[in-house]
Amino acid sequence: MAVSAHLRTFRHAAWLGWQMESNWTRPWLFMIYSIARPIAATLILVVMFLVVKQGVANDPAMFAFTYLGSVFFMFVAQVMMGATMVIMEDREHYQTLKQLYIAPISIRVYIIGRAMSKLLLTSVSVVISIAFGILVLGLPLDLGTVDWPLFAAAMALGISCILAIGIALAGITFLTAKHSSGINEGIGGAFYLLCGTLFPLTVLPSWAQAVGMAIPLTYWLELVRRSLYPGSAMEAISGLGALGSGTIMLYLVVSTLAFLAASTLIFRYADRRARRAGKVDMTTSY
Amino acid sequence: MAYALEVSALSRAFTGKQTVVALENVDLKVKEGELFGLLGPNGAGKTTLIKILSTLLLPTSGTAKVLGYDVDGEASKIRPLINMVSGGETSGYGLLTVRENLWMFSQFYGVPGSVARERIDGLLKAFGLEDKANAKVRTISTGQRQRMNIIRGFVTDPKLIFLDEPTLGLDVTTSRTIREYIRDWVRARDDRTLLLTTHYMREAEELCDRVAIIDRGTILACGPPAELKRRMNHASTFVMDTTSFDPAPLSAVRGVKGVSADEIESGKRVRLVLEDESAISDVISAVVSRGGRIVSLNKVEATLEDAFIEMVGRGLG
Amino acid sequence: MPLNLRAAVGRAYPRVIGALREPSWTFFDVLLPLLGIAAYIYYYRALGAASSFEGFVVLGGAMTAFWLNVLWGMASQFYWEKEIGNLQLFLVSPMSRMALLAGMALGGMFSAGVRALSTLFLGLIIFDVHMTVEEPLFLAAVFLVTLIAIYGMGMMFASLFMLYGRDAWNISNLLQEPIYLVSGFYFPVRALGPWVSAAASIIPITLGLDAMRQLLFGEQALGLLPVATELVILCVLAVAFLVLARYALRYMERLGRKEGRLTLRWQ
Repeated sequence: MAVSAHLRTFRHAAWLGWQMESNWTRPWLFMIYSIARPIAATLILVVMFLVVKQGVANDPAMFAFTYLGSVFFMFVAQVMMGATMVIMEDREHYQTLKQLYIAPISIRVYIIGRAMSKLLLTSVSVVISIAFGILVLGLPLDLGTVDWPLFAAAMALGISCILAIGIALAGITFLTAKHSSGINEGIGGAFYLLCGTLFPLTVLPSWAQAVGMAIPLTYWLELVRRSLYPGSAMEAISGLGALGSGTIMLYLVVSTLAFLAASTLIFRYADRRARRAGKVDMTTSY
Repeated sequence: MAYALEVSALSRAFTGKQTVVALENVDLKVKEGELFGLLGPNGAGKTTLIKILSTLLLPTSGTAKVLGYDVDGEASKIRPLINMVSGGETSGYGLLTVRENLWMFSQFYGVPGSVARERIDGLLKAFGLEDKANAKVRTISTGQRQRMNIIRGFVTDPKLIFLDEPTLGLDVTTSRTIREYIRDWVRARDDRTLLLTTHYMREAEELCDRVAIIDRGTILACGPPAELKRRMNHASTFVMDTTSFDPAPLSAVRGVKGVSADEIESGKRVRLVLEDESAISDVISAVVSRGGRIVSLNKVEATLEDAFIEMVGRGLG
Repeated sequence: MPLNLRAAVGRAYPRVIGALREPSWTFFDVLLPLLGIAAYIYYYRALGAASSFEGFVVLGGAMTAFWLNVLWGMASQFYWEKEIGNLQLFLVSPMSRMALLAGMALGGMFSAGVRALSTLFLGLIIFDVHMTVEEPLFLAAVFLVTLIAIYGMGMMFASLFMLYGRDAWNISNLLQEPIYLVSGFYFPVRALGPWVSAAASIIPITLGLDAMRQLLFGEQALGLLPVATELVILCVLAVAFLVLARYALRYMERLGRKEGRLTLRWQ
């Protein structure tokens, strides 16, 4: 299919996604919802930290490690879920999936387009959370010392990887019932646990550390933290201190490519199975 | 004679950016034991009226009584006595079987288990759905699903049932099964009443004791189909076949006093209802001037559809 | 059997059967919530917290099953029912709306109960968490009253969903993580300070969790109020929410009939 056709699909899907996200009768509720929920999730960790450590100043590096991990994980939870929920919403709720499915467009491009509104909103939530962290919670972050090129490169690769996983999960959603939207929760939960999001990988059992090291998001979070905190503070905590940033970037590139390939295969397989099983226009509510 | 439905000066407006008047000053009485038809084009107000009568919607003004109870203040007395089925509805749960779905809905009306089972078995048989009784609803066809929906309406043994386009999009055999059941159901007991909306004139003509024609929220006529047709006796109905022509002048013809026209086949076949036969020459001129040639012109017996066309000014199609 | 009891059983049925007919739910509902609590437990370990904190996480993780069921399986279920065309058929029927919601609650409690129990037991075994049940009857009473109160609250929310579409959906979203935060699902709620924790006590799960923590972990639970006081407040909340739900459902249904919103789809 021509690139222009993909771009058109992407543009229209992104527009549709934004309309669906933002076209509320009460915009204030939409804004609160978009921001309050992820910030609350981060604040749970902050309170857990404060209950144990009695203050940010008692372990600022660990606080920054957890806070940033939690904030940037919003991309995984929201964008990946956004991509997966496209299938659920369009099939079961709006019941438009069958029309989209037979249209001469790439469903994967459509899913990516639809996820763009989530990406935009999550970016806003991340910026607000970081500002909140610095101004209210005393997050020790100096924007003047940030390694912006490393940050930009890590974010580009990380978001690509998150979208690839989202598409694979969207494919699997073709095959599963409505209530198994737990698939997002489950995969998201696994990444949350295994990718060094809240705590250093070294806290985990060795087998879990090995699994974590095979997931690109581990390297993405590590590079995001290193780019925001150049120096040795983050490297000392994460358990990946022995690896240089270049090596981690290489790991991130290779593992992202592997996930992209796997995502393509999983989506194709699930798509075919869904057609064979007649699940493209399934509704399963109960 | 007791009335199953008594509607008086009933109006309903939907307010939003623009106010839409769905029903305006509707008066209607349906006797107990009647099979009553409501005919009207899309957007005429049929579904709004059914929603009000089935206690889903309140009127803006006027009153409506269902089986003697007011829809506004006595909804809880009406609900045990009625049921409602809409054509093309997707109710129920796809993971349950047909039998389970029917049982579930019967429980919402407090039907005892053994009675529900007996009724479900009888209805599944009557509608030729016994072999699908244990199939999950998400696996059955549209026609089978619609038969299940209709069974859902009857399984609670209502005194009054609203059927909104029950045969919409169904094949001939299924439609006939449904029509036969509807007729037998009403006739089986004196206290059963059925309000039917349909797009199919033949269905209304064949089934209904009386019919109301509704358009733009207003009842235009009400009576037995034969009486409505008799009102057409002063008029003449023609079916005209032509070679292809620009159908635009038909809109002009429709505007001529005493002439109603309905295209059966765009630019080729027209059904005409004329109060005065002499107006036929104007119609022929209109067609010929647009490049059409008259292939045949036949005077036919008036139908309910002709009555409808004359009153509404257009067909249902 | 009276109408409303039949109606409740009728509505609970598809929940239980539906859950059993989709075996994938076992995997998602039983094993995956463990991942979330595992992350919090390892986080506490990384922070060097006392082992009782790991118990708080397991308890909170188990109770999320019920809270999620209240939010998504009952309150917002009216939104789904409206979208698929069931709500109007429910409302035309003579059953009480409370009976319908009670049916949803009972059916939902089946899967939520399995999820909660599995989270609790697997959490205790895998992470070697120790809890001591010294007053089982007291604990059972707190648990049951908490459930009644949160499901009563869910019934009240359901009245909103009868009328409003995605707005109400978003309210449910808002009541997820923010409630985990203010109700202290993973830490003693007293840590939030007296004002926040007092305000959060209007949500029954706050005091329910606090009381259960106290009954299972004793002094380490850093309780907000004495357990007996919390139980009394929970009883009051349970009654209040059930009564409010009844009025809210009646009011919203009438408003919906007036505004023509009961059958409005694709909002």
